Amino acid sequence: MADRSHIVKSYEQELGQLRSMMSQMGGIVENQVALALSAIADRNEEAADAAARQDPDVDGLERDVESLAIRLLALRSPMASDLREIVAALKITGDLERIGDYASSIARRSLRIRGSDGQISLSGLRSMGRLVQDNLRRSIDAITQQDSNRAMEVWHADRAVDEYYTALFRELVTYMMEDPRNIRACTELLFIAKNLERIGDHATNIAERVFYAVTGDNLPAVRPRGGPTSIDTTAEPDDR
Amino acid sequence: MTETRPQVALAVRNLNFYYGQNHALHDISIDFPARKVTAMIGPSGCGKSTLLRIFNRMYDLYPGQRATGEVLFDGRNILETGLDLNILRARIGMVFQKPTPFPMSIYDNIAFGVRLHERLNKADMDARVQDVLTRVALWNEVRDRLNAPAAGLSGGQQQRLCIARSIATRPEVLLLDEPTSALDPISTARIEELLDELKEEFTIAIVTHNMQQAARCADQVAFFYMGRLIEVDTADRIFTNPRQQQTQDYITGRFG
Repeated sequence: MADRSHIVKSYEQELGQLRSMMSQMGGIVENQVALALSAIADRNEEAADAAARQDPDVDGLERDVESLAIRLLALRSPMASDLREIVAALKITGDLERIGDYASSIARRSLRIRGSDGQISLSGLRSMGRLVQDNLRRSIDAITQQDSNRAMEVWHADRAVDEYYTALFRELVTYMMEDPRNIRACTELLFIAKNLERIGDHATNIAERVFYAVTGDNLPAVRPRGGPTSIDTTAEPDDR
Repeated sequence: MTETRPQVALAVRNLNFYYGQNHALHDISIDFPARKVTAMIGPSGCGKSTLLRIFNRMYDLYPGQRATGEVLFDGRNILETGLDLNILRARIGMVFQKPTPFPMSIYDNIAFGVRLHERLNKADMDARVQDVLTRVALWNEVRDRLNAPAAGLSGGQQQRLCIARSIATRPEVLLLDEPTSALDPISTARIEELLDELKEEFTIAIVTHNMQQAARCADQVAFFYMGRLIEVDTADRIFTNPRQQQTQDYITGRFG
């Protein structure tokens, strides 16, 4: 992206403001996901609360980004790379907001899996969580650094997230078949895994939008996907 | 793909232009597709108006100005000597930045040019005048005062009259040099709407400083800088993802 600045300084400042709001929002959401994962891994109730408490900030930033982007579109008639960056910001802000919601949802559910300690292994979920977190961090770095290579990395890495999800799905179904008393906890864990998978998808969306904003080209419409599975993991119960 | 390649109305090949010692256009090659709008953008002095003026040999009026290379129109190089310029200018019409109605009636502004090239009886001439005024959406505004002086029209009406005058001789190409820069937004919108209709019949080349106008009206956009053609592509491509850094800098407002 051009590092030259605009002749109109206030335009340049507004674009700077948009970028800083985006990275602020990315930072909060990243933190929410980290707290949610720690709520599961360390049985940390405080972290769960903290993750949910940040939702209003994220929502507020989403509205701010939207109104600034609309103002820029109306008043500056942006072109080329500026236009792409602003439109991408409008969409990325929606992805970030969704990720924040999923993080809160994971945090809330983490409180409901108490009592099943020892019987169900959380190691698969932890690894999936780390991978998703890593992808999210890279996609947020891609936003702040306008880095299309980084975006490309995330885009390729989403396949591994899908594979984790499919494996976890099978594992949890097995637990439930073994002992019906596991069903309650496993259902929560299934939702959590699904939420993580969705976070991964939104991180990939972000990567695609950054790639477009920076290069002006679209990544292929078909993403690299996890392998086929005999179990239909696409059926998702309403998540709330 | 069964779609045939768009026919080219004007083909510019290795065109150079000089104002005396000043080399104003450097080795320009560009096609103007038939029945499409091509917009030429670029900072003042980049050569875009010069190119427009070459197409109807306006530079012939001034000593010391000369062009080399080729501009192919209907299979012929219009830069050749011995070309009938009156016929050329009837086939390639031009509209200027400031409306330039002749100091005569509205009717005669249109009939004047037609009379130079065609012999029409009164009824046919009336029909021609009504036809072109209708097409520029001026007929209903002036039908009751066709014999009133054209100078009494508003700026926007005068510019539409000038476009009507240009198309009355049934040209193939219409050149417009900043046709709306002196007009209010409503008159501008009318002219842009008009261009959209006219391109079904004519090839249009428009010089504009208004980037949004180029984006709205043009099928093809050419960016000129310091007498060189930097980039030519679809309007879509130029305004969302130009290939050249100079184009990008200009349209985003980063030109220092």
